[in-house]
Amino acid sequence: MQNPTCKHQWEMVNIRPGYILTETCHKCQLVSSYFSFEDYPPFEEYKDGEHFWNVMDSVQSVSFDLRCKECNILVSFNELSSLMLCTGCRDDCRVNDLILEYSSQNIALYVAFGFKPVNEKKQLSPEQISVLEDYYNQIRKSSGTSIRIVSFDMIDDLDSCTGEYIMDRHLLSLTPIENK
Amino acid sequence: MKLKEIIEKLSLKVLTNLEDKEVTGVYISDMLSDVMSKAKPGNLWVTIQTHKNIVAAANLIDISAVIISQGTNVPEDTIELANRYKVVILSTDDSTFALGGKLYQEGIE
Repeated sequence: MQNPTCKHQWEMVNIRPGYILTETCHKCQLVSSYFSFEDYPPFEEYKDGEHFWNVMDSVQSVSFDLRCKECNILVSFNELSSLMLCTGCRDDCRVNDLILEYSSQNIALYVAFGFKPVNEKKQLSPEQISVLEDYYNQIRKSSGTSIRIVSFDMIDDLDSCTGEYIMDRHLLSLTPIENK
Repeated sequence: MKLKEIIEKLSLKVLTNLEDKEVTGVYISDMLSDVMSKAKPGNLWVTIQTHKNIVAAANLIDISAVIISQGTNVPEDTIELANRYKVVILSTDDSTFALGGKLYQEGIE
């Protein structure tokens, strides 16, 4: 982060409600997700270039930034789609190895996810993840507990992951606007 | 006010292991993303949600306790996960509205 002499004290700002839409192209099966601030995001199939997008999933969520109360630096989290509490569902997962390492220290492990397609969209940087981790640790009241946040790219097999996501699924109305 | 004092005054049922904590206020919402962004550490979180992912949100914010209103049954796997992360879950037969009123009367806002 800029201003390396500042001992950043983070606060959450610019909290904006919206929806995370996950769409799939019925021609090439590509999956795309993004944050929408629209009251009524698209839910009918639409064409965008070569793709024909259909909504697969909707999650009501919030977008936010973190600002340092000391030096006023702002860190945006436009690339964050969700956080997941890792519950250690697979013995062969690298995140599970960290759980085993941290469990005796009362450290809970969360995984930060970005948007799809992963190789086409900008993902959270290690610095952003570190700031997010600092924020949630700074606000903790309980003595002796803390959290650690790691990137989703530590999980080899996301399809079999059964951690607990912090997200509000399927709250987007599918009633067409004209019928409201 | 301490959590144990509130449990006693409001006759709340304790569903998990109990660790006494200082309560800083109340946050009422059934949305995890709300809690993640707007609840304050030490808050009591009142909700009717009982899925395991309430533990993920409560632990992230360091909520003092989750209170499940309306007598909603809490699945055993949610209680197990809460105990693992030292998240306290309480329950009451009161509606969210009635419970909010009682907490307000006790001076917790």
